[in-house]
Parts: sequence; structure tokens; C-alpha cells
Amino acid sequence: MFARLVRESFVRNPRRKIMTAAALVVGMAVATATLTVALEVGDRMAREFRSLGANLLVTPQSDTLPLEIGGVDYRPVDEGAYLREANLGKLKMIFWRHNILGFTPFLDVPAVLAQPQPDRKFTSEAGPATLASPSQPLSVMVVGTWFDHDVPVPDGTRFKTGIRLTNPAWKIQGQWFHDGANEAVVGVTLAAAYPGGISAGKTIYVNVRSGVASQPRPVPLLVTGIVSTGDAEDDAILVPLSVAQSLSGHPGQFRRLFVSALTKPADALSERDPSTLTPTEYDRWFCSPYISSISYQIEQVLPGTDVHAIRRVADTEGRILSRISTLLWIVTLAALVAAGLAVAATSATTVLQRRDEIGIMKAIGATNALVGGIFLAEQLMLAMAGGAVGFVFGVVLARVLGASVFGSPAPPRLVLLPVILGLAAIVAIAGSLVPLRRAANFNPAPILRGE
Amino acid sequence: MFARLLWSLLRGSRGRLAVALVALISGATVISGLLNLNLDIGRKLAQEFRMLGANVVISSPRPSQSIGSSADAPTAAPAVMDAATVLDEIGLVRSGDIVAAPYLYIVAHSAGAPVVVAGTWLDEASKLAPAWKFAGNRVASRSDMTQCLVGRNVARQFRLAPGSDLALSYLGRSVHLRVAGIVDAGDTDDNQVFVNLPVAQALAALPGKIELVQLSVGGTSATIAQSVAQLAAALPGYDVRPIRQVTEAEGQLLNRTRLLIVSMVVLILVLTALCVLATMAALSMERREDVGLMKALGGSISRIVGLFLAEMGVLGAAGGLIGCIAGMALSRWMGERVFGASITLRWEIVPLTIALMVLVALAGALPLRLLGKVKPAVILRGE
Repeated sequence: MFARLVRESFVRNPRRKIMTAAALVVGMAVATATLTVALEVGDRMAREFRSLGANLLVTPQSDTLPLEIGGVDYRPVDEGAYLREANLGKLKMIFWRHNILGFTPFLDVPAVLAQPQPDRKFTSEAGPATLASPSQPLSVMVVGTWFDHDVPVPDGTRFKTGIRLTNPAWKIQGQWFHDGANEAVVGVTLAAAYPGGISAGKTIYVNVRSGVASQPRPVPLLVTGIVSTGDAEDDAILVPLSVAQSLSGHPGQFRRLFVSALTKPADALSERDPSTLTPTEYDRWFCSPYISSISYQIEQVLPGTDVHAIRRVADTEGRILSRISTLLWIVTLAALVAAGLAVAATSATTVLQRRDEIGIMKAIGATNALVGGIFLAEQLMLAMAGGAVGFVFGVVLARVLGASVFGSPAPPRLVLLPVILGLAAIVAIAGSLVPLRRAANFNPAPILRGE
Repeated sequence: MFARLLWSLLRGSRGRLAVALVALISGATVISGLLNLNLDIGRKLAQEFRMLGANVVISSPRPSQSIGSSADAPTAAPAVMDAATVLDEIGLVRSGDIVAAPYLYIVAHSAGAPVVVAGTWLDEASKLAPAWKFAGNRVASRSDMTQCLVGRNVARQFRLAPGSDLALSYLGRSVHLRVAGIVDAGDTDDNQVFVNLPVAQALAALPGKIELVQLSVGGTSATIAQSVAQLAAALPGYDVRPIRQVTEAEGQLLNRTRLLIVSMVVLILVLTALCVLATMAALSMERREDVGLMKALGGSISRIVGLFLAEMGVLGAAGGLIGCIAGMALSRWMGERVFGASITLRWEIVPLTIALMVLVALAGALPLRLLGKVKPAVILRGE
């Protein structure tokens, strides 16, 4: 009987349900979309921040003090400790390997830029006019690195990384060098300052600055592009790591490693010293992508290294991320409240519209409990249907929002479906409770008289 | 007459209108709060981005490596510039909020090992790099010739602690300094010794010379670009170089956040309209009898609808106004909660929000069209 009453109400008069259903669909679509975006936003913004450059720096532990000025190491090549290139695949074996977005090794070699006539002595004073001004070779920094290097990972997979991933903001005119080829990319300031200028297609000759004995002849490098980094590399020559290694006589080695990792903003737990944590706290710390736990894990797989968070980047990122996500949650909450209010208002309206019906039911002997039960059951069914349809629309809306805000659609989260259905049920029922309470006081006689 | 009718209408269905008003107020609160935040968020994010440190570097146009090939003293003859002229020009450009510090780098020796010594203004340098953490004391004055700050790695290498002595020598000249504090920068700064500029100038025998100036220019990317252009114009012959990564990331992040907030505002507007619509639908059902009576008494339908629309307009304006006041409080709270600083209140948001709410309320009055169909006779018969 009860089921039939409820069913009949839907079958006989579907138009009356339209408004509540529409409000439920719209409200829940908005709720789904905002929640999906809010869940996504931290991750997206964190990725956005990775364009700032790496946030972790790995250096040899037992190193002499780097003589770095403006990001370039001026130590002679035969001084200080090196790291082994062969171990780098292990970075993709740590617990948070999927948060390691990229890493790039760097090897700075103080070098001289010789004059481009290989058949003449570059120190010749008696050369033609083109050679007249820089009779003395230009001293430059040659930076060996990866642009897009294929790294074997010990688990058998391969990982392509390099400054393509860690420094996406670097702008190149022309092309990047090919891995392993005798090619170079010249910093924009250096290219302009070089007498006569350097442009893509030109061949330059570099030689290591100290320890001349190891490399008597200059190495020819084909310039493939001019890079603008807005940083110290603008004054340097970027070459494939292997070229810098053979130039410096340190095959398979490098000095500095920059790692770009997706991290969670620091909080009270991440600031503490891991050795003071209780076992459960330690597990939680280890299993959270804090910058401190990721650097700890990198130190474990690359023994003999020091891993520092580049605090400038990491702190800024953490602060802004936590601020924006707080902001987003407040906004999401506001949208949820608005959605709930809209659904509740329409539910209340539908109950009031059906005063006549309630009057008749009561007149033929329905108890308040029965009337309330019928209405609540209807609302619940509406909430389920509206919530489900709203969820589908919300997924679409989230894709649109994600695409317009972040440039790629936000993936649907099925976890949200029960949340949305529950939310729909709560607001639909909460919205009809007050008018139903009032309906309980209806006196059937005046209603039936049409008053 | 119109006004009196309007008044009694508003009074007559207080309960229903209250629901619509609540919806309008809450919508207006959130919208004005968010719009306010949206206008101010650029400034707030710009402040956060200053954590990244210097965003403009001024140096001599020649690349500093182009001098000599002596490997052991790479900055023996840096491309120096005159401190006074450059700093004076920067001082003149001080249009916005600029923190600047001059730098002179030398590779000095301490206990036989080379170390990079950065001569700067120690009081400004720590402002330039807000991410620095100190163990020990800071150096509060740029004329303090006896104290220095050392980077974390330098302290480890030379076993220094706050209060210990550090001797630096460079090309036969030497100086004895006391370590005031240890800097944890998480950066290459960890490998440097920071001294006040005159100390480094005396060591290098380059009085009045500096190698570069680092600046932290406040403001949004647009104002930073403007300041950079001004600096470049004031310092012809010098290389004024913005550190691009910072400003670009900032602009992108700002755009995305703003877009997100604006789309949320639109969604909330739609929901508010829906809420008002539902309430108005119920109200127009209840008002059928009033309308029937009015029509029977000879009221034209346009007049009656006009009456109801005026009612909604008043409601929208009232909701918008109250919501704006609440929204100001909300954005203030959000500013405190999210950015830890108050938000500048923009008064131009008040008319905007009120206009939006009146529009939403009028859109919500759409069901009133149904009243046109009301036939007075039927209503008066009580059907």
C-alpha cells in the first residue's frame, strides 16, 4: 500500500517533482564539480609550482666547500667529490617514486672558449682582422646536463628526465642538444657578449681551463640553440653531460643533482627530527610526501649524499599551496551550502504545493506519520535519482572547469558518488521536514473547502 | 498606492519572503566576499612570492667570466661597477616596494681552504631572503665591520659556531671576524660567508665597487615589469635582469586561482537564483487568490506583475545590501584565515553585488508569469 502510494505519486503527477528534481540535479552537479576540483587543486597547483624549478638539491657528502657564485661552481675539476651517474635510476625506486617528477644532474666545468679557426693557433696575434680582438680566449663555464635523457631504472623500466622536466621555464631559441652528441646550447647573455655573436648552427671550440694536460685539443661543439633562463646559465654553455664528463676527465660522474618532487606542505610533523618520532608517527611521516621524508628516502638510496630542500622554493610553494587550498575549501563549502539551500527551498515548496493532497489524505484517515512517511520516501527517491544524475553532470562540469582552469580535465572521482547521494538525501529531507511539520497541523476541513 | 500595496505584500507573506531573503543574503555574502578576495588576491600572492627572494639582478653588462683565465681566483677582477651611482639610481626609482642589496663576491681563503665571501648589507640581505633560518644572532647594521654570518655548510666545514672567530685572507690581505650567526638557506648560500660590504671591498682592494645588486621588487607581475623597465631606463649601460621563473609562475598561479574563484561565483549565483525561483514558485501559488481579487477589482495584469517585480527588486536590493555587509566581514575573516593579513575592502563591489542580486531576484520571479493565466472567476469561486 505504502509503496503503491509512493509509486502512484511519481507516475500520476511527474510534473510536480520536476522542480525538486531539477534543483537536486543542479545542486548536486555543482557540489560534485566543486568537490572534484577541490580534491584535485592541491595536486594541480603543486605541479604548477614545479615550473619554478627543482626543490631538492643533492650534493656529495664529503665534499669540499663548493665555490658557487650565482649558481655556478668555480671549483677546478680535480677538486672535491663527485656523484655517480649510474646510481640515478634508484631515485625512481623510493617509496614516493611517483612524486619524483624529474631530476637533472649538473657538472660545471670551468673552460675557455677558443676562437673558431681550427687550422690556426687560437692565440695567434698575427691572424686576420676577424681574430684581432679576442686574441685571448674567453673564459666560460661549461655546464654538462641532461635535456631529455633515458635513465634505466633498476626495476627494468626506463625514465626520461632532464631539464625538460625540472626547468620547464627555460626558453630555447633553436633546439636542445642531442644526448651524447658534440652539441651545445649557449646562454643568451654569453651569445650576445661574444665578439661577433653566437647563433645556432655555428661551431664553437671549448677547452678545459685548468689541467690542460688532460685535454690538449679544443673540443668542437655545434651550437643548436640559444637558451634564456633568467639565471646564471645565461652566461654559460650547456652541453650534454657526457661531453662535460669527457672534457673534465670524470666519466660517469657529476657534481650536483636537482630533483623536482611533488610534496605536501610542511606541517608540525614534518618539521620534527625523524629520530624523535614514535614508531607510528615515523610511519606516518615516512608515508607522507613531505619534502623532509622524500629527501630522507633519497639519502637512503644514494648513500654518501647530502639532500637539502631548496628552502626558498619549498617554503614558498608550501605556504602558497596551503593558502590556496584553504581558500578553495572555503569556497567549496560556500558552494555546498548554496546547493543545499537551493534543494531545501525547492523541497519545501513542493510540500506546500501539495497541501490539497495532504488534506485529502488526512480526511480519509491517514495519520501524520503515514503522510510524513510517504513524503519522505518520495524525497529520498528523488534525492537518489537527482543525486545520481547530478553526479554525472557534475563530472562533466568538473572536466570543463578543470580544462579551463588547469588546461586539462579533472578526472572523475567515484569516491564522491556516495558522498553526493548522502548529501542529496540529507538536504532533500531536511528541506521538507519543516513544511511537513506544518502539514501535520493542517486541518483537513478548510483545505478541502479550498481556503 | 503602489508603495502601500508593495508594503503590505511584503508584510503579508513574511515567512516565504524570508526564505528568499535568506537565499539572497547568503548568496550576496559569499559573492561579495569572494569578489573582494579576488581583487586582493594578486597583492597577497605577490607578498607570498617574495619568499622566493630576489627577483631582479642588476649587473655590469659584460659576463663576469670574461676576465682572465686564472682558475684559482675566478673573481680576481670581477666586472665591477660603482656602488654609489647604481644604488643612487635604484633609490630614485624607489616607486614601489623595493628591497635592494649590493653584492661583491670574492673567493677568500680561511685556514688554507677557499671559501666564497659575499660582501653585502647584512641587514638587507636577510630581508631579501625571508626563507633564511638563523642559528645565533643576525647582524643588524650594515656598517658592522667585526661580525659576519656563515652558511650552514661553511660552518660545518670549518667547525664554526655562533661566537667563534673566523680569519679570512685574500691576496695577502686578511681580516678577523666574529661569527654572529649561522644561516640555513637550503641553497647555495649555505656555502658562503656573508660579510658587510666594506669588509669585502677592503679585502678585494676595490673600495666603493660592487659586482651586482639583487633586488626584491614587490607587487604583481605587472608592477614588477614596470619597475624593471624604470630601472633599466635609469641605469643605461647596466644589465637589469628579471629572474623570470618567479614572475611567470606567479602570473600563472594568479590567473588560475582567479578563474577558479570566478567560476565558483557563477555557480553560486546560479544556485541562489534557483533557490529564489523555488520560493517564488511557491509564493505565486499562494498568491493566486490575491491576484484573482486584484483582477476582479480591475487591476491590469501588467500592473499586478509590476507590483510583484517591484517586490522582488526591493527584496534583491535588501538582500544584496545586507549580504554585502556580511560579505565584507566574510572576506575579512577569509583574509585572516587564509593569508594571515586583512583584505582591503573595495567599495565598488557593493553596487555590483546589489545589481547582481536584483537580477537574480527578478530572474527568480519568473514563475510569476503564471499569474497572468489566473482567471478571477475561478479563483473567487474557490476552485
